Amino acid sequence: MKFRTFAAFVGPSIFLMLLFIAAPLVSVFTQSFYLSQPVVESVEVETCTPGFLTQTCTTEVRTQPILDENGRIVRETRFVGLQSYRNVLEPERAWAAISSFDISGLLAIDFWKALRFTLTFTLITLPLVLGVGLAIALAVNNAAKSVRGPVIFVSLLPFIITPVIGALSIRWLFVGDGILTRLMEYYSGTDIAMFAQGWTIEILMLFYRVWHVAPFAFVIFYAGLQTVNTDTVEAAIIDGASRWQRLWYIIVPHLMPLIVFVALIHLMDAYRVFEEIVGFSSQAHVISLQWLTYDFLQPDDSGNRAVSRASASAMLTMIGIVVLLIPLLRKTWRDHRGTR
Amino acid sequence: MKKLLLASAVSLGAIMASGSAAYADCAIQNNIELSSLSAGFEAWKSVTDAMAECGNFTAELDQEFRTKQPAAFAADPSLYQIGGVANGTITPLLNEGTIRPLDDLVAAYGQDLSPNQLIRVDGQIMAIAMMVNTQHLMYRHDILDDLGLDVPTTWEEVIITAEAIREADVVQYPLGGTMKAGWNLAQDFNNMFLGYGGSFVNDDGTPNVNTDAGVNALEMMARLTEFMDPEYLVSDSTYVQQQFQQGTIAMANLWASRAAAMDNADESQVVGLVNTAAAPTATPGGAPATTLWWDGVVIAANITDEEAEAAFQVALEGMDAEMVAEHSDDAIWLIPGYEPNRFAEGAIATATASPAPQSYPSSTEMGLMHTALGNQLPAFFTGELSAEETLEAVEAEYLTAAEEAGVL
Amino acid sequence: MSGPKALQQPISLRLFSSAFLAFWCLLAAFPIVWIAVMSFKAPVDAFAGNPLDVIFGPVTRAGGEGLTLVDIVLGVAVLYGAVQVAMRSLPRLVATDAPWGPVAFRWLIASVVFTLGFVLVFFGLLPAISGAINGVLGLDPIIGLTTAHYEAVWIDNEFWRNFVNSLIVTVGVVTVSLTVGTLAGYALARSGSQLAFWILIIALVFRALPHSVLVAGYLPVFVNSAAILEPILGENAPTLYGQPLAVIAVLVSINQPFTIWMLRSFFQSIPAELDEAARVDGCTHFQAFRWVIMPVMWPGVITTGLFSFLLAYNDFLVTSLLLDASNQTMVPAIAGYFNRETTTTDQVEAVAAAVSITAPLFLLVMIFQRQIVSGLTAGAVKG
Repeated sequence: MKFRTFAAFVGPSIFLMLLFIAAPLVSVFTQSFYLSQPVVESVEVETCTPGFLTQTCTTEVRTQPILDENGRIVRETRFVGLQSYRNVLEPERAWAAISSFDISGLLAIDFWKALRFTLTFTLITLPLVLGVGLAIALAVNNAAKSVRGPVIFVSLLPFIITPVIGALSIRWLFVGDGILTRLMEYYSGTDIAMFAQGWTIEILMLFYRVWHVAPFAFVIFYAGLQTVNTDTVEAAIIDGASRWQRLWYIIVPHLMPLIVFVALIHLMDAYRVFEEIVGFSSQAHVISLQWLTYDFLQPDDSGNRAVSRASASAMLTMIGIVVLLIPLLRKTWRDHRGTR
Repeated sequence: MKKLLLASAVSLGAIMASGSAAYADCAIQNNIELSSLSAGFEAWKSVTDAMAECGNFTAELDQEFRTKQPAAFAADPSLYQIGGVANGTITPLLNEGTIRPLDDLVAAYGQDLSPNQLIRVDGQIMAIAMMVNTQHLMYRHDILDDLGLDVPTTWEEVIITAEAIREADVVQYPLGGTMKAGWNLAQDFNNMFLGYGGSFVNDDGTPNVNTDAGVNALEMMARLTEFMDPEYLVSDSTYVQQQFQQGTIAMANLWASRAAAMDNADESQVVGLVNTAAAPTATPGGAPATTLWWDGVVIAANITDEEAEAAFQVALEGMDAEMVAEHSDDAIWLIPGYEPNRFAEGAIATATASPAPQSYPSSTEMGLMHTALGNQLPAFFTGELSAEETLEAVEAEYLTAAEEAGVL
Repeated sequence: MSGPKALQQPISLRLFSSAFLAFWCLLAAFPIVWIAVMSFKAPVDAFAGNPLDVIFGPVTRAGGEGLTLVDIVLGVAVLYGAVQVAMRSLPRLVATDAPWGPVAFRWLIASVVFTLGFVLVFFGLLPAISGAINGVLGLDPIIGLTTAHYEAVWIDNEFWRNFVNSLIVTVGVVTVSLTVGTLAGYALARSGSQLAFWILIIALVFRALPHSVLVAGYLPVFVNSAAILEPILGENAPTLYGQPLAVIAVLVSINQPFTIWMLRSFFQSIPAELDEAARVDGCTHFQAFRWVIMPVMWPGVITTGLFSFLLAYNDFLVTSLLLDASNQTMVPAIAGYFNRETTTTDQVEAVAAAVSITAPLFLLVMIFQRQIVSGLTAGAVKG
């Protein structure tokens, strides 16, 4: 294919990605090395606010930004190098904690706390999603033809449901005296509060994610199972291979490209875990990397947002995902070299 | 099921009818396209509905208004003419100079406003307040009466009362608390911290929370949590309100704007059983451990004078006595003509207490402090850090943020 | 994998497999069914502690609203019929004497007709008939059920506006995303160059980016776009904030990496000989694409389209930040219910709205289920 034809075909797609993904990314990258602040002055201001019947007026020193003649805030931007990264990583505090083997001290720092959760979340859900997805696919493939349709339909529900709503529907079942909490209290005879400690919330979040993504793995694996070569399977049976051997030596290798595909997609999605933090309001106990970035960017009542730290934390998040993806990227690279 | 059809037919009719009657209740007829951006709670709904009666007005009640407002008002021309703010969220608009002084407009059209409503900054009127809000004590008067207990006035008394209620075993948890990690928890701390006489920052902008007042506040809060639902770190105002409605708690320091829900027969099992009182004090003879808040409207700077004039008139129509008469339960209104009901007692007692509680100290520094508190305090309640360590972490985060924001 | 005797499984395995499947289905459906049940009850019932109270809704029933036995039997019958039609008759109807050409269009017509028919029968005809029978037999309701929350959501709060907005954004995203994506996917599949490979790898990294990072960068630019674009477009420069078109562009871009990967794998499974033959006959690349590839690409495109649909329909972060109230889609509208100072009634209304959002997804999967599996089988997921 000539380059010009290729460019014409790919052009629109590349243009969109450059404009809406690459450009913001470059700006985030530069912002993480710069600090842009308003130039402020301290002035004495009298402010009058209402009580119920009469006003109270207070005079206080306020810091407020200086405005230029056009009414825009005067800002100064300067290069700060890795300062924003240091603010996010807090290396001295982290190093002090590591060198004294004080894990909880390390995890008291937001970034490390978020990293710890994001990694455990990603690495625990990955095998669960693959395993549960494969199990459902095998079970459905095993089921009578007549029930397959409805079963596939029901199985897909958790995947298609809007994530915010899925998380809330699970939350309602457990929060406070939710219906399932009561059920567990009934069977265990103890008072259970699922949202009172970190580990139970974490379990709920893991459960929700597996519930939500396993159907995706299932439907892909199920599609893959339809193309398993029956001749090979029959040959294996004649050779006396047991069920497990057949699964392990024929079906799994056949599905391998799909397993890699699902793993890749899941790694990326799980690493950006965010909806669960909001849906289960777990900020007190666990936070994730994307939530950390989001939180830096949320303006407080006075309109402050920590743009530089947010940029730094976003870049660190990105480095993390690239590191996680390297094994899979290398595999893709080898396949690419192979097919060329 | 037939009812469904009928109901939809009726409400369709109602929509059409309301279309023609839109101008009926407004004294002026507005001919300029206007829009507003505000928070979305009930009082704002009532006010913007009343504004819409003047025609050519669209209201945006948006939970993202804090994110959108500064950007939208900084655009030229501003995307909205009218903004809904509180004492906290007015700060970025003031700082960026994107709202206009209202002195001329008040002189021309504001005869009906009470002086108490005019928010002055540096001598200029920058906003018109419509309501106050505060966190104060709500309690089940039936339970306190049955047990022969007085309404507590200090937090120490709250603990004694809670102890008695727990022993009598009449409700699941004696106390409720708006202690959801983040903004709510930080606000609860603010109340208690000010109650113990703390001040958040020094005059030079350095943090000042790792003090006796800070430690006392945290320790008092920790003692209170023993009487609460163990899931207090996810419990926001709505959750506490529901706990009251379902009769699972007996007392809580809750927002005044939530009181009316206690008498909503559709949801509440405690109709008529909840009373309000002044927020308890942290120290005997001190100010109630709470903060005063107001909500009001501002007018954008980057619009034409004609638009500003129309916007101001429409805004006043939304905050007139007629609206208050119709929605007197929705808030503690500052608007003339408001008749306080039973639930307003607590808020009024709080605001008129002597010494009186402070207004929420809205400033750039306070915004940074509030965020730092919201992020770091949970570690104390989950038991990871001690009170001093937690406050140290708060100060560290505040310092980083303040340096980044350029205020230090 | 059925057929030969040797593949027959021992009873224990079959039992275990069915039990596992049954358990999974329960797990998959329960939370969704439960919120659906809650949405039809008075607030006190919906948040009641006893599950039976939630199901039977005594308070709701006391309010005089509920279903009689006849209502339930008829309702279940209609639902069963609808599922049968959607899963069996409809695909057959669409597939009769059909080359793959305008099939997407026929699917569209079929789904719209089916949805309209269902709404008409279930909400129009059924209540009338069962109401008449109940009247004759004098039956009392046994399960409390109220549609008050749905009325409040759809009529009083004008949720249909959000529905229309969601429709605009979703249709826009799916159309643009597929048009741009098929072209790129095809070229990437047929070009073995280094450049194509690196484009794919970079797209993969783009897909991994946390969205909150990107989205925050858009807001100031979109709000001030009138001023920024003025030098280029002059007086007519639009303010992009609040424009569905702008949101469509953003969502399409965010979704491009996944789309081109998916479609590239699919196009790779179409033999290259096909378009090479066309090229020998003197077609340009584009003509070959138009006349040889397009007729056979629909299974993969439909599957990819469904994923685009899900992304656009379910998005919260982008739509909540970049759209104003007049253009708000459904998901951020619901989040609004939770974030304002909510009463319990508001919460049940939010649940009703949540169920309303899920209903179209239901229908979609019901209709397209076979296409998803066959599209994936046909090669869209070869890695």
